[in-house]
Amino acid sequence: MHGIFYDPIHDEIVVPVALGGAVLTLPGDAAGDAPPKRTLQGPKTGMVQPDTVYVDLVHDELIVESGDESVLVFPRGAQGDVAPTRRIGGPNSQVSDIYGLAADSKRDCLVVANRVRSGVRASDDAILVFNRTDNGDPKPRNKIAGPHTGIIKIRQVDVDEERGLIFATIKNNFENYNWSDPRPSPWDPDRTGFIGVWSIDDDGDVPPRAVIKGPATGLVWPAGVAFNPKHHEIYAIDSVSNALFMFKMPEFFVKQPGSASIAR
Amino acid sequence: MRRVSCVVLALVILGLSNHGTPPDADGALCPLPDGKTRIRSPLDETTLYALERANGCLDDQDAAAPSGSWPPGWKTANIAGGDVPPVRVVSDPYPTLHSVVVDAARNRVFFSDPNRHALWSYDRLAASKDRHEVEAITGIRGPSTGMMFIAAVTLDRAKQEIYTVDNDIGDRLMVFPYDADGNVKPKRVLDVPHQAWGISIGEARNEFAVTVEAPREIVIYRKGAEGHEAPLRTIRGPKTRLGDPHGIFYDDANNELVVTNHGNQGGRAPAPGDAPARQRGSRVAEPQPIEGGKFDEPSITVYAADAKGDAAPLRQIQGDRTGLNWPMAIDVDRGRNEIAVANDGDSSVRVFRRGDTGNVAPVRVIKGPRTLINGPMGVAYDLENNEIWVANYGDHTALVFPIAANGNVAPKRILRNAPAGSPTVGFGNPGAVAYDSKRDEILVPN
Repeated sequence: MHGIFYDPIHDEIVVPVALGGAVLTLPGDAAGDAPPKRTLQGPKTGMVQPDTVYVDLVHDELIVESGDESVLVFPRGAQGDVAPTRRIGGPNSQVSDIYGLAADSKRDCLVVANRVRSGVRASDDAILVFNRTDNGDPKPRNKIAGPHTGIIKIRQVDVDEERGLIFATIKNNFENYNWSDPRPSPWDPDRTGFIGVWSIDDDGDVPPRAVIKGPATGLVWPAGVAFNPKHHEIYAIDSVSNALFMFKMPEFFVKQPGSASIAR
Repeated sequence: MRRVSCVVLALVILGLSNHGTPPDADGALCPLPDGKTRIRSPLDETTLYALERANGCLDDQDAAAPSGSWPPGWKTANIAGGDVPPVRVVSDPYPTLHSVVVDAARNRVFFSDPNRHALWSYDRLAASKDRHEVEAITGIRGPSTGMMFIAAVTLDRAKQEIYTVDNDIGDRLMVFPYDADGNVKPKRVLDVPHQAWGISIGEARNEFAVTVEAPREIVIYRKGAEGHEAPLRTIRGPKTRLGDPHGIFYDDANNELVVTNHGNQGGRAPAPGDAPARQRGSRVAEPQPIEGGKFDEPSITVYAADAKGDAAPLRQIQGDRTGLNWPMAIDVDRGRNEIAVANDGDSSVRVFRRGDTGNVAPVRVIKGPRTLINGPMGVAYDLENNEIWVANYGDHTALVFPIAANGNVAPKRILRNAPAGSPTVGFGNPGAVAYDSKRDEILVPN
């Protein structure tokens, strides 16, 4: 499983099961061999290999990556073999391999962590932002991508609706193994991953507003990110170090004019 | 119920240790410098770092190097944050024991370790005394090895080569010589499909077989294949009844391939035939129809060794009487005509007759608190010494039983690679995280 969402209103855990083409909803206190409350699965769902999910708690919708180059939206309580109420996909949308999803109900939009397989380090991986009710093959309203973004192999994203910020995990690396490389991927210290933060209104080839990146962070291939507004912490799970890193929610995520740069 | 366990067991739930009493399952924790944390680690920080470094998971010698290569424009941009240390880290500094294989002639046993991306070998007769760990003979680990989230391990005993394969990240098969040790490059590297898991060598046909989860396929290569070499053939398609295959045994004596299946069926029909599968979505050049995902019952399927394409299994063991639940590695005792399966879902080893088919009960089950079996991934026969090895992923032990062990019996030897009681965190290529605000817990799916 490469996705998870905790729903605090209904006290539920929602997980995609990529290998079974399903989304399961479990009680918040599930442990051991607990049965799911709901299973969404079947040909009408359009789910092939769902890798990531998000729940829009304001609009009561379940947002699912299909594994088939599209975003699917269902009623939150959908179960069984039901068709999505909306679908975003197609050449205008630029939606390809999705590794993260989030929603900002205040700004009425969906955030898609999108990967495009290029086979080389040059990347068109992007954060795509759509209007929440988009359906069909719309163009994204914002696209954050390009060399200045540093977005290479993006994974899970989360949104801070209060401040309009997107938190994204960026692996910044490839699995390619080069015999001549003294430090084959992913341990090349020049290409370790990071957490990047952008404004949800950012557009184009723009650097992040804030990052957690560098040897002191311990991050190699961060694959997941969540934040804890209560205790002002950010959590990053790393798929290569097999470790969970907890950072203090830094005030530096609120951009301050003249604040210290990353080069410090 | 089986399908539920597939999900729930894969979730690691961590209580926030600085906001309450740490749960027992917190794992070995690496508290970082603020000194205010109330995390209780069985080891001090210095020891933890030393262990991580020794195990190849800390590679901080060039700590000052990276900043020069950051993306264009970042140095002059007004970017907050930077190289900030975490306030807490949860990780397991010890290797995990995933898959196991024995070379009885050389008295060596080999394990794969996806936690630290390593291969470890031990003396076959090594046993832990009291609560202490056993020292490995060799440990292949570090950046040069190229090993990522590795799964199965197997041996070419004649050539004294160790094979392992990347599962969800890496997409490579690596071959090392028996005597490899430390941070060394593999002898050969072969690109394999994404989500490979099992490997087994067929000496008679001079080839080896690899299972691949999402496309539900078995890919067979020439022994000695390397680089981008294409497989000799692929077994894939709806008639195969493959469902998220994991363990595989190439039974030369009976000219068969024996495979464990978790039963998961992705939403797109498996493409019949030999065409290479796409990495995500199990698609080939012409996408197969979306027929909806399914959770089929776990199974053991058996194929002719020369099967190709959409070939039906010769036999299939499946159904509620089998007790199969997340069946992982598999081995075949050609003398007794028995199949042993590491049954991760209920922490058991299940033994079936080799010729069984249908909904059959195992002839023996090793299970219960005395066995100390805990989330087994690996199982291997040592036919020369009439023993069966079990690698526990749920803790830091491997267990050795008499070959005909049955029921709730104690192992004859225990091999530990960490002090007794050292917890395992359970992370395996984790890909997401969530915060449970109601319970003040962090949720991590594997």
